[in-house]
Amino acid sequence: MRYYARKFAFYLVALWAALTLNFFIPRLMPGNPVDILMAKLAQRGGTVDPSARRAYELLLGTNSGESLIQQYFAYLGNMFRGDLGISVSSFPTPVSQIIAEALPWTLMLVGIATFLSFAFGIVLGTFVGWRRGTWLDSLVPATTVLAAVPYFWLALILVAVLSSALGWFPLQGGYDVVLWPGWNAEFIGSAIYYGTLPALTIVISSVGGWLLGMRNMMVSATAEDYVLTAKAKGLRDSRIMIKYAARNAVLPSVAGFAISLGFVVAGSIITEQVFSYPGIGSKLLQAVQNNDYALMQGIFLVITVAVLGANLVVDLLYAVIDPRTRVSG
Amino acid sequence: MTNLSAVTVEAPRGRAGWRSMLPRWSPKLGVGLGLIGVITFIGVIGPLLVGDPNTIRDLGLTGPGGEFWLGTTQTGQDIVAQLAHATRGSLYIGLLVGVMATALSALFGIVGSYIGGYVDEGFSLFSNVMLVIPGLPLVIVISAFVPADQRGSWTIAVVLAITGWAASARVLRAQTLSLRNRDYVAAAKVSGEKPWRVITVEILPNLLPLLASQFVFSVIYAILSEAGLSFLGLGASNSSTLGTMLYYAQNGFALQRDAWWWFVPPGLIIALFGCGLALVNFSIDEIINPKLRDIPRRDKAEAERAPAPVKRTDDDVVLTVNDLSVVYQVEKPVHAVKDVSLTLRRGEILGLAGESGCGKTTLAYAVNRLHRPPAEVTTGSVTFHDREGGDIDVLALTPGELRAFRWSKLSMVFQGAMNALNPVITIRAQLDDVLTTHRPEMTKAQRKAKCEEVLKLVGVDVRRLSSFPHELSGGMRQRVMIAMALLLDPQVMIMDEPTTALDVVVQRGILREILRLRDEIGFAVLFITHDLPLLLELADRIAVMKEGEVVEYATAQDMFEQPAHPYTRQLLDSFPSLTGERGSFVRSGEEMTPVKRSGEPTSPGGVR
Repeated sequence: MRYYARKFAFYLVALWAALTLNFFIPRLMPGNPVDILMAKLAQRGGTVDPSARRAYELLLGTNSGESLIQQYFAYLGNMFRGDLGISVSSFPTPVSQIIAEALPWTLMLVGIATFLSFAFGIVLGTFVGWRRGTWLDSLVPATTVLAAVPYFWLALILVAVLSSALGWFPLQGGYDVVLWPGWNAEFIGSAIYYGTLPALTIVISSVGGWLLGMRNMMVSATAEDYVLTAKAKGLRDSRIMIKYAARNAVLPSVAGFAISLGFVVAGSIITEQVFSYPGIGSKLLQAVQNNDYALMQGIFLVITVAVLGANLVVDLLYAVIDPRTRVSG
Repeated sequence: MTNLSAVTVEAPRGRAGWRSMLPRWSPKLGVGLGLIGVITFIGVIGPLLVGDPNTIRDLGLTGPGGEFWLGTTQTGQDIVAQLAHATRGSLYIGLLVGVMATALSALFGIVGSYIGGYVDEGFSLFSNVMLVIPGLPLVIVISAFVPADQRGSWTIAVVLAITGWAASARVLRAQTLSLRNRDYVAAAKVSGEKPWRVITVEILPNLLPLLASQFVFSVIYAILSEAGLSFLGLGASNSSTLGTMLYYAQNGFALQRDAWWWFVPPGLIIALFGCGLALVNFSIDEIINPKLRDIPRRDKAEAERAPAPVKRTDDDVVLTVNDLSVVYQVEKPVHAVKDVSLTLRRGEILGLAGESGCGKTTLAYAVNRLHRPPAEVTTGSVTFHDREGGDIDVLALTPGELRAFRWSKLSMVFQGAMNALNPVITIRAQLDDVLTTHRPEMTKAQRKAKCEEVLKLVGVDVRRLSSFPHELSGGMRQRVMIAMALLLDPQVMIMDEPTTALDVVVQRGILREILRLRDEIGFAVLFITHDLPLLLELADRIAVMKEGEVVEYATAQDMFEQPAHPYTRQLLDSFPSLTGERGSFVRSGEEMTPVKRSGEPTSPGGVR
């Protein structure tokens, strides 16, 4: 029980840290984002009513006399009400609505691709570690090449070969634009077809890391006494490999999975840029290019909350697969 | 005072210390250093040898060849010249971030955990929070707030360092925590060394491999992240890096126009450099964790064994080990077991004594063919004389036959039950899988009954079946191991230091249990320990091993009364006498002292 309490407390602190970071970054940076924003808004003919200006000032900092502490608490209040302000680049849509539309795309693409990559990496790493000293060892240096390749470079080359030259996959987008988004077979089929190549590039570039980590842990685990006991017990090799060696070796990978989620999200921003995928990463870049600070801050927060939430889930899952955490906390 | 302590403290680790910190030479390391060397050369010397990378010519997108080895860009700039300058830019950022991130992680990881207490808690919490806040989105947000004209290499490097140090700090903290409690660090502290000196002199050298590995990792991270940022248009604005080069290539539609010579080389340089660093990191990892070292591939052919399996001479014998030799096939082969011959009779306890490293465990494992490469049985035979008739040549069993043989004929109890049980599955599952493997015909209810029966035999509450190993005490874990060894009613049980890690009272209880079970069930025991006096009480016959050879092999009675070999006497004397009388090393075993020892000398094996 103490384990769970500690975990919840930790993620609350992390969430608070992210919110605070989000509050201070624009205030510490040179320039006056509110003015840039207001000018941009006026340019587009948006009405600058005082309450909108106030919301921006809370988000981005202001030159008015209000103390930092007051601003901070007003900002926190807005965040808890889910009021992330109004987007400038697609005025007057609220930031929360833009995020709600983009988020499912990213979650599906990145979620499925990451899970597949993790699963492949663990399975391959299990075999490579178990059959150490055979030709499988040569897979290890090969995967490091993949891990050292800049992701977008690899993705663009795959697009050039598989989409442009061979025409197997669409060049970009999340679905066939002639279709209307909805929960019907045709649209979902199209989304899967469009998502395959982006997912493939994510899997190719990240599977090596999982493989290597799992392989190294397998090498350590097979030297453990309990594996020797299992052999002396006359168990089948497959059972020893899975129930004894891999079952223990996978624990650090699961813990590492939580930590890697931040990197996964980072990767997805670039993925979405390469494939013009309609997810949250594209929106973030759109916000950056248009100085749409409210949208940018909102997306940063949502990404952070999503990563923290996923981390929490992984940590809770970890307690299920490693009985020792539950007591020692 | 300070000088003195420094000398005494550093002595034990000094010699081996520095040598073991250098990576062992391997092809991987060679290729890695080669790649890094060539690319660093391009980055450092290259710009001096090529022309101005920005010269615009009227030769847009010329293919490779002629004056321009790698062709030109859209505006006729020389790709080779651009590559040289861009490589320099990327290396610069990589180095900056590597240094800064390593310094930050050292500060938060090493200093925090060394000081301990609230500082450590605070630093650790801070690192963990930084770790879970996604880096690239944060970098993007920060970069976006910095106006493009102020966004130089330094800005990018600082931002990348701030978002990239946390994972290393965690690794370093874990390592420092374990180093902090080592004896030589404690000694330095006690002798009044200043904290900064303890850290730099005692702790830092031991963290060097780890720091090096984290540095290499940060450099890879920095170069890749910088490339990613540049690709998004958020890179350093006033300098040329491989990332910005790719950005221009992408925006000039290099791939769409088939100008691969513009797009492919920058990515390839990043990939090769990263690959070189990763290969070097492998070698560093092997220093940190020697288990990861490559083991040579070997052919399966087992060495020919001279003596054939031994025919049973008399029905009383259950296991014959004849002229067995085991060699560790490393550079200088180590003869761990030399021509050992032993016979184990039904129901007898045969003790195998010797100091650690004398080969007794290697021998025990070889009997069940559990030795792992590079250990190899070079000569000799192991023959199991089955109760049901028939002799089994253990060393000639096929893998399938060997699996069926193990545990059902011969089971084992390992030393220090701490790790012999799988920590993440229940006791029930670990008992049960023996039965599902060897007795597939048993029903679930029968298996449950059998598991409960053996636990009762060793005096463990059956409710413990659903416990995990960490929930049991050391003694209880050892009892569970013995219960497990009893599951299939084996004829031989090999016990390797089964009571070593336990306190004396628990040890007594378990030894008594072993004797009782042996008397009830009648299996034979090969009992391995360094504790010869213990064997004098417990065993029927004893073999004393030294440097791989059996130097004395006699009944316990004879060995007690007239130890023949000087080494045996030495072993007996090495255990302190409590009362001063000769023989009092036999720690008084109350009712344990078997009847046979007090009166008639029973023939070995004739216990039943």
